[in-house]
Formats: sequence, C-alpha cells, structure tokens
Amino acid sequence: MTKTGSTPTAATLSDRHLLGIQGLAVAEITALLERASYFADHPRQSFADILSGRTIVNLFFENSTRTRVSFEIAAKRLGAATLNIAVSGSSVKKGETLIDTATTLNAMHPDILVIRHFASGAPLLLSQHIQAAVINAGDGRHEHPTQALLDALTIQRELGRIAGLKVAICGDVANSRVARSNLWLLGALGADLRFVSPATLTPPGLADMEVPVYHNLEDGISGCDIVMMLRLQTERMEGQETPSQHEYHKLFGLNQQSLNRAAPHALIMHPGPMNRGVEIDSAIADDHEKSLIQRQVEMGVAVRMACLEALAEGLA
Amino acid sequence: MASKQADLLITNARLFCPASQLDGLGWLAVAEGRIAGLGSGQPDKGLKAGRLVDGGGKLLLPGLVDMRVQASDPGAEHLESLEALLRAAAAGGVTSLATLPATLPVIDNSAMIDSISLRASRLVGPRLFCLGALTQGLEGQRMAELGMMAKAGARGFASHLTSVADSQLMRRILTYAAMLERPVIHHCADPALSAEGEMHEGETATRLGLIGIPAAAETIVLERDLALVRLTGATYHAGHVSTAGSVAALRRAKQEGLKVTADTAPPWFLLNEMAVPGFDTAFRLDPPLRSEADRLAVIDGLADGTIDAIASDHRAINPDHKKQPFGMASPGAAGIETLLPLSLALVSGGAVSLERVVQCLTAGPAAILGLETGQLALGKPADMILLDSETGWVIRSADFITPSLSTPFEGQPVQGRVLASWVGGAQIFAMENWQ
Repeated sequence: MTKTGSTPTAATLSDRHLLGIQGLAVAEITALLERASYFADHPRQSFADILSGRTIVNLFFENSTRTRVSFEIAAKRLGAATLNIAVSGSSVKKGETLIDTATTLNAMHPDILVIRHFASGAPLLLSQHIQAAVINAGDGRHEHPTQALLDALTIQRELGRIAGLKVAICGDVANSRVARSNLWLLGALGADLRFVSPATLTPPGLADMEVPVYHNLEDGISGCDIVMMLRLQTERMEGQETPSQHEYHKLFGLNQQSLNRAAPHALIMHPGPMNRGVEIDSAIADDHEKSLIQRQVEMGVAVRMACLEALAEGLA
Repeated sequence: MASKQADLLITNARLFCPASQLDGLGWLAVAEGRIAGLGSGQPDKGLKAGRLVDGGGKLLLPGLVDMRVQASDPGAEHLESLEALLRAAAAGGVTSLATLPATLPVIDNSAMIDSISLRASRLVGPRLFCLGALTQGLEGQRMAELGMMAKAGARGFASHLTSVADSQLMRRILTYAAMLERPVIHHCADPALSAEGEMHEGETATRLGLIGIPAAAETIVLERDLALVRLTGATYHAGHVSTAGSVAALRRAKQEGLKVTADTAPPWFLLNEMAVPGFDTAFRLDPPLRSEADRLAVIDGLADGTIDAIASDHRAINPDHKKQPFGMASPGAAGIETLLPLSLALVSGGAVSLERVVQCLTAGPAAILGLETGQLALGKPADMILLDSETGWVIRSADFITPSLSTPFEGQPVQGRVLASWVGGAQIFAMENWQ
C-alpha cells in the first residue's frame, strides 16, 4: 500500500455488522485496508485504548485455530476482553437453536460477536436477534470477509496494487467461502480474476457471472501475478467430486512445473490450513521467495483489528 | 325442482362453475345435502326454504378441493390440530381436502384411515379424505396395504417428500394401484440429487453459498415414472410440479394418452428463487423455489391444462424449525387459508382465465380423487362457497387460525375473500359480519 504520510483513521461502515464483502462499498473496503496496513506497520505499538472496556465473544460452530486465534490476538491488541465459545456440531442438533444462543449471549451484553458457522447465512440470522455487532468469521460456503480482506491487504502490500493484476483462484471453488468473498472483493478492486477448478468442484452459475473458469491448472494460471490455492474441503465433500486425492494432486495440485506457467514474479497464496501434497507441493508452500502464506497469517491480525475497530465505532 | 321445500336457498348470486359451464346471476337450492335446483334470475315464487341467503351479487363457486394437505394430527397436533386444520380450510373456502400420509404414525394401514376419518366426521368442517402411503412407514422399501386402505376410503396413494427410488417397487405399486383404480401421487425428487440441497441450483445458490437442487432432480424421477406408466397403464399424478422440464414431460405424456395428471401450488407460480437472498426461511420449500423460466412454464401448464389442479401444499412447520439458518430449516409452509386469493392472482395478472383457475381448484382435483364434488349441478353434493372477489386484504400469518405457521406470502396484498362455505348444504364457515 502506498504510504500517504498521514495516519489513516478508523474505518467506518454503513452497516453495524460485517456479514460479507457483498454489501460493502469500495470506499469502505479501501478504508479498512488502509487502517489495517497502518496496524501492520506498527506491530509493537499499543492500541489498547481503542477497545478498552469492550467485550468480544468468539462463537465458533466449526473447528478453527488460525481464524479464532487471529481474532483473539486482534481483540487483545485493541484492549478488549475476549471470550471463546466453541460449539460442536452435535450439540447444535440437540435442540438449542442459534436464536436461543443469541438470546443467551445478548443477556451478557457482549459488544462484538465473531461467529463462524457451518451453515450459510447463520451470521445474518444471528445479527437479526442480537444487540452486539456481528462479524462473520466464515459461514458455510457463503462468505469469509476478513479472509478476503487479508488476502487483498497481502497482495496490495507486496505488489503495490490490486487493479489490473491477474489473479487465479484455484481448486475447490464449489465449497469455498474464501473463493466467493475474494470474487466480490478482488473483483470490486479491479483485479483480473479467473477460477481454476475441476468441473465437479465448479459451482453452477459461475459462468453467468462472467468470470473465466479453467479446468486445466497450467492454462488457468498462465501469466498470472497471483496464484491462490484453495484447500480441498474434504469435510464438505461426499466422496464423488474427485476420484482420489492422488489424481487431484496430479491434475490440480500446484508444483514447480505448473508454476512455471505463471508470470515469472508470481506469488503463491493459500488461506490455510494446507493439505500438503494435495493442492500444493510442500516445496512451493515453504518457498519464502514465492509463498505469501505466512504473510497472509500476519496480515490477518491487522485486518481483524481494523474490522473490530470499525464495528466498535458504530457501537453506542 | 320437484319438492317445493328447500333446506337452503341462495339467491342473487353469480353462479360460476366451469364444469357446468355456468356464469350468471341466479339462485341455488339445497335439499338433503345436495343441490336440488339452480337457475338464472329468480327462483319460482312457490319455492320455500328453511334458510334464505342473499348472495349480494357475489360469486357462488363450487367448494375448493385441496388435494395436497399434510395434516399434523396425529403426531404433531401441538402444531396444528385436526380441528384447527379443518377450521382453517373452511375459512379458506376448502370444502374437501385430502391429507398426505406423513402423519405420526404414518397413514399406511386401514386403521389409521378409520381413525382419522372418524375423528374428522365428528368435527364441523370440510370433507376429509386420506391418501395412503405408497410404502410401509413411507420408507420406500415395501408396498403398504394399498388394498385395505382403498377399502377404508383412501382416494389415492402418495409418497412423502422422498421419491420411491426403486424402479421395480414403483412399477409394482403402479400396477397394484391400477388394479384398485386409485391414482399414485408422487413427489418427484431424485434422492441423491436433492438430499443435501437447500435451494434451486444456479447462480443465486452459488452467490449465497447454498447447496443447489437442480431442476433435473424432479424431471429425472418424473420421466422414469412416465416410462413406468407407459409400461403398466396405471393412473399417475405428479405432486407439486415446479420445473419447466416437468411441465414439458407431462404435456408430452398427455398427448400420448397416458393417464397422467399433475398439481402445483401458489409458491411455484407466484415466486421464484430470487426470494431466497436474505436467507428468510419462509422461502425454504420442497421442491425449492425455481427459476423465473420454470415459474412461467408452470403458469403455461396451468393455462393449457397440462397441470390439472392447484393445491395448497399446506404443511404446519414447527416455528422453532424455521428459526434456523436457511439450510437447516425445515421446508414447507402453511397455505390452506391463502390458496384461493393467491390462485386468483393468476387471473388478475391476466395469465390464466378465471374458468381455468376455478377448474383447477374444484372439478380438476375432484376428478383426480374420484370425488363427486367440485361442481354446481343438480344432484351433486351442496359443497359451495360465496366469494367476494373484489375486496383486497393483506396476508398476515398472525391472522391465521394457527398463527404460528409460516408463509412465504407474508405481507402480500391479495384480492378475494371467502364470505361463507357450505358442505352438504351445512354452513361450515361465515366471515365475521357477513349477514
């Protein structure tokens, strides 16, 4: 990101929740990225006054380590008190509805609720029944807005821009909320996007959105500046999408040979956690010259700080 | 009329009945539960009546025959008791209804039909008929006792929201039901293509991250069934048809002369998948709301007679099961109180004639179920409704007889209010302040 010299102020959002990239204006995205970049530039500075006295609840209905920890660190750096609630899928089915959970939490007066849920649209439902501001930390196959924001921030800080960059999003697009949020976000910022995925993992209607879809990895990433590999979401799959992980690796796994088709300066991204040896070769994932994967994790904290701060701005 | 004494005489009403090709101001007399006389203008001055009703120039239609209702009682009577269902039906102008077999226990034996029929007979309201389960426990494995159920009064045999996947079993059910002269009423959805599905497959589903149910899930099963009907000569009925492919397949089958009929319900001719963004679970239905092209094809099917009946597809869903993320919510909606005005929206929109719509709500389904109702004609059961087709109102689930039930038409302005309903000449409903 180009430094302007002046310190960017807290981003403000028109909605009191952050439920998805769809619904954000470009100016809001830009403001979040600028503020996040400032946080990233000042990793040792204390910002503990920003959310001092605020309570943030991380409500996770799906296993997650990196996203939850990232939100927790972001909240702590802003001075908020945090509480993690992990709800396993089985106890959800025992009867308490998401709205019951919301009502219970409401009584405890959290300021911001960070929710991850396996059902698309769950954060929206929660937001309709809770006083706290809600951040979507990933819902089903729908959206993962902070991931897309951190991806954008990573790209912008590495390459100085997003507009006009050729970005290939590769792999299990059908089951990926990361792919969808990035489609909305990188698309809004003017990236030249394409998807690369097996036909069985390409969601219907993608072609109607006028985004090129390739079924051949080498053709798809040809000349691309950014190659974003997605995790094969085996837990969302029914065993019919690909013949085997072995074949998936052969046809759609990123290795040095296929990477040679991308632009010479191409950078590799992955939202994690990786299936090494399935969608990506370890050698490439660990190549610090080309891989932005660690940088993405680092930017995650900065982006989540900017998002939490922006929502706190909207709190009474 | 022969006797000069009627139990009920309705005068000054616009008698409208497609099956009898009636449309004009006139009168109708009832004796011993049946239509004992009707005509245009005023009745003979010598005709005496136990009760006289001035129709006020409003429409007098045959009572509605709703062939696709899922009673919750027994099993989930806390959601909607049989008594509440029948009251809601009467208020909606329904004078005959057929309940689907997915009660608890399932209607898969004659004792269940006896029990439900007996209880319904003790309640004031529309005539209630049972549709027996195609398979034991609706499990899709073994044929249920279709013959015993037919003797007990089953008007047809139906599946729940799962198709019979085994083609050999389906063939035998069709053959057996044909012997019993009852239709096989099938919900067409390929289990493998639809089991995990949350909404219609396409761009909207992809945007929302919801799992799609392709239109082909319905058509695949329907096309297979039509091939089996060709093989067996059975009488077959496709329930709640929702796709253009199904309408086209049914049209071809009818041209071919197969004994095939179909119904649909208001959600599939008034709404499409564009209702789903917002994740409002009132729009979580099975089959799912389809594309605009599918919706228009369903309307064409109603207009040209490919689809024979409009049913409510009424289903009481536990409100807690609607307060869920979209994909986890139970599919279904209430519909019996809104069936008539929503169907009339087809007429005011100019898409389908009033004759066709009334036919699809009365004589069409009556013929499928082998009922003698659905027609204003001498000697027929005196099942009829008086309809104010002009008055507008707004659908509010809070005003339903069971107010907790969900509707995809919340807040929808509609036209047409039932003023009174009669079954066998006995009044089962009258709107407040009407006469």
